[in-house]
Amino acid sequence: MKHSMLVTRPNFDLTTRYISIWAKKIIALAKSKGDAVFDLDKKRANRKEFESVIRKKEPSLVFLNGHGNYNVVAGQDNEELIRVGDNEQLLKSKIIYALSCRSGKILGPSSIKFGADAYIGYDEDFIFLYDENKQTRPEQDKTAELFLEPSNQVMVSLLKNHTPKEAHKNSKQSFARKIKKLLSSQSTALESSAVRYLIWDMQHQVCCERLTK
Amino acid sequence: MVSKQEIKQLVIARLKTLPEDTGMSIGSQGDFNKREMIAHVERGDDVGQKIVEVEMSFLRGLKEGILYEA
Repeated sequence: MKHSMLVTRPNFDLTTRYISIWAKKIIALAKSKGDAVFDLDKKRANRKEFESVIRKKEPSLVFLNGHGNYNVVAGQDNEELIRVGDNEQLLKSKIIYALSCRSGKILGPSSIKFGADAYIGYDEDFIFLYDENKQTRPEQDKTAELFLEPSNQVMVSLLKNHTPKEAHKNSKQSFARKIKKLLSSQSTALESSAVRYLIWDMQHQVCCERLTK
Repeated sequence: MVSKQEIKQLVIARLKTLPEDTGMSIGSQGDFNKREMIAHVERGDDVGQKIVEVEMSFLRGLKEGILYEA
């Protein structure tokens, strides 16, 4: 099955730089499968372009990367892209993965009420560790990879036609594999510390789904 | 019963074991180097409380067998 995917990739601070660059792997995967990709990066990750692409292109998958809170997912320079009680109806009939803090708690369920098929996100802060020596090359950061690879597994699974529930489960299993690996190896202090944050992210990833279509 | 101060000291001791070049991103709260992480925990501000919350959640999880679930 071919997908069409909208990706928002603001890039204006360390966190958004990391998640924006790691999202490129998902874009490459989608393109390799022949899926249509609408990539709103940096300044294009603004509300006007976001709403325009959603309305005109009607992507089936929406991959949001950016800062957020219980009610909002933001784009470039923290411009609000989606807010509860404002424009979450734009997500109707779509499957959303928000790599963003907290939006899985209120925005996710609210978007389902307004007709989204599924919303996968985090109901608390998404936390990751990184190597300060790799700040200019986030894609080579093995510390950040511990967190961002399991996170990306949601989109990998969705692009491979898994259901949202399966994608959510696969991502959690990917977190669990990392945790087990860190626990079973001769863990360094860094790896040992990373475990608690991996568990935190794994436990706070949530999936809301529409019950009937 | 472990006091808040003891928890704080436990978290700081854990953070001190991190390599010097480790950073932490806590979403929109920002990104922090090791020295800043420790300072936030010592001050007990929002960022410090979040780091302590993660540690507490982990310790509670250990008691409840979270590592067996992982």
